[in-house]
Amino acid sequence: MTPPAVTVISGAASGIGRATAARLAARGDHVALLDIDAGKLESTASSIREAGGQAESWPVDVRDRPAVERACAGVVEKLGAITGVFSNAGITGRQPVSAMTLAEWNAVLETHVTGSFHLCQVALAHMVRQSRGAVVLTSSDYAVVGMRDQAHYAAAKTALYSLTKALALEFAPHGIRINAVGPGPIDTPLLRAGRTAAEWEERLRLLHARIPMGRLGRPEEVASVVEFLLSDRAAYITGQLIQPNGGQVMW
Amino acid sequence: MSAVSDGRPHQGRVAVVTGGKSGIGKAIAARLLHEGARVSVLDVSRSAPDDLPVASYQVDVSDERAVDAAFDEIAAREGRIDYLVCCAAIFPARPFLDLPAADWERTLRVNLTGGFLCCRAALRHMRPRSFGRIILFSSMLARTAGRNSAHYAASKGGVLGLARSLALEVAHEGIRVNTISPGVTDTPQPRGNMSEQELFGRAASIPLGRIGAVNDMVLACLFLLGEESSFLTGQDLRVNGGASLW
Repeated sequence: MTPPAVTVISGAASGIGRATAARLAARGDHVALLDIDAGKLESTASSIREAGGQAESWPVDVRDRPAVERACAGVVEKLGAITGVFSNAGITGRQPVSAMTLAEWNAVLETHVTGSFHLCQVALAHMVRQSRGAVVLTSSDYAVVGMRDQAHYAAAKTALYSLTKALALEFAPHGIRINAVGPGPIDTPLLRAGRTAAEWEERLRLLHARIPMGRLGRPEEVASVVEFLLSDRAAYITGQLIQPNGGQVMW
Repeated sequence: MSAVSDGRPHQGRVAVVTGGKSGIGKAIAARLLHEGARVSVLDVSRSAPDDLPVASYQVDVSDERAVDAAFDEIAAREGRIDYLVCCAAIFPARPFLDLPAADWERTLRVNLTGGFLCCRAALRHMRPRSFGRIILFSSMLARTAGRNSAHYAASKGGVLGLARSLALEVAHEGIRVNTISPGVTDTPQPRGNMSEQELFGRAASIPLGRIGAVNDMVLACLFLLGEESSFLTGQDLRVNGGASLW
């Protein structure tokens, strides 16, 4: 019998990461949860365990290379060989470029792009020994179309799509597939962050008008796409961007 | 702990598959049947054996009246149409300068106009029930282009435009429209234009080291038909082993 899949998920404490962790655990994966927010991370892990799943958590800032290395070594020791990665940690902020500080720019780029570089490089070094596995990175519709007031976020998500393609080519000979998921507007804490209730209502009205399906997506609707891409059902799909976005961007 | 199970999501669904007597279309029809769907097949072929227990219609998808009549009959018999999967296509490879206008016209008519006619006929039955899943097969060649393929690439590029426009029009009505763009796949179709050696020789230039299997396309199709893809519409799933990354 093949051992259970061991999947590392960053940004696992909330939103898309949390929903994906729950879905993968429900299909039988042993999930290794990484997030900078130790408190919320443990609450995700315990809710998965209460549902009968296997979850362990590692409070980690993905920008911290030694911490990522320690976490992945810990995953291998505690859960076994890593077979899947969902590199999903991300932050954002709202600021026109003209007012954006270098610190704001760096924080977003380093979390998304350098953080994914660290996690993918460290985890893939473990995975190539198995010649088995798959990776999904969270990109965005904004890898393809422009966006006001979040230039750092859009630049980061485009970079993640480029990283996905380069990794796909590099690791295909090892039988490891790398894809990106590019969500549109999903009802997550990140989308609501920094908005008052009134601003959120206004934003919702705009989004509903703009999204052809007329609603926000649910984190579970991204999780199901990630699960598909990590599964053998997607055995011939690599280097691609799959966009659960309600039709907001068609490309 | 047991694997995630959505039960049998295709059980009882009424599906129409065009080009359903060979290659990818036939495999999709067979798999949907296995999943408990009620499957009807449209195919121009008279000769292909009816070895699947499906309702089979000998129809040229570019024949407006025949298409409308077939969908009306299916809907009348089954009570509805839930899924449409458009696989019917032809690919008579020719160098551009030797391409007869008749070949150009016939390729566009079957591959692109055929999709339009089948989508329109199916939508008449999907819309009143506010439910539908439509998959159109495009091709990697729609983006990458290829020698001897101007007519085919144009038709498959057209399929992307058709699918996206249609997706926008019906997105708020519970109907999702997506495309699949296969790379070179192990079916009868490419064998019309290349030898076995050439076909399998393509594997050397594909990152995942093999040409596509019919089952790769079947699994992509089931994903897009089912609820796992509930927030996907107007999207193109590129199943090509990494041969094209856009």
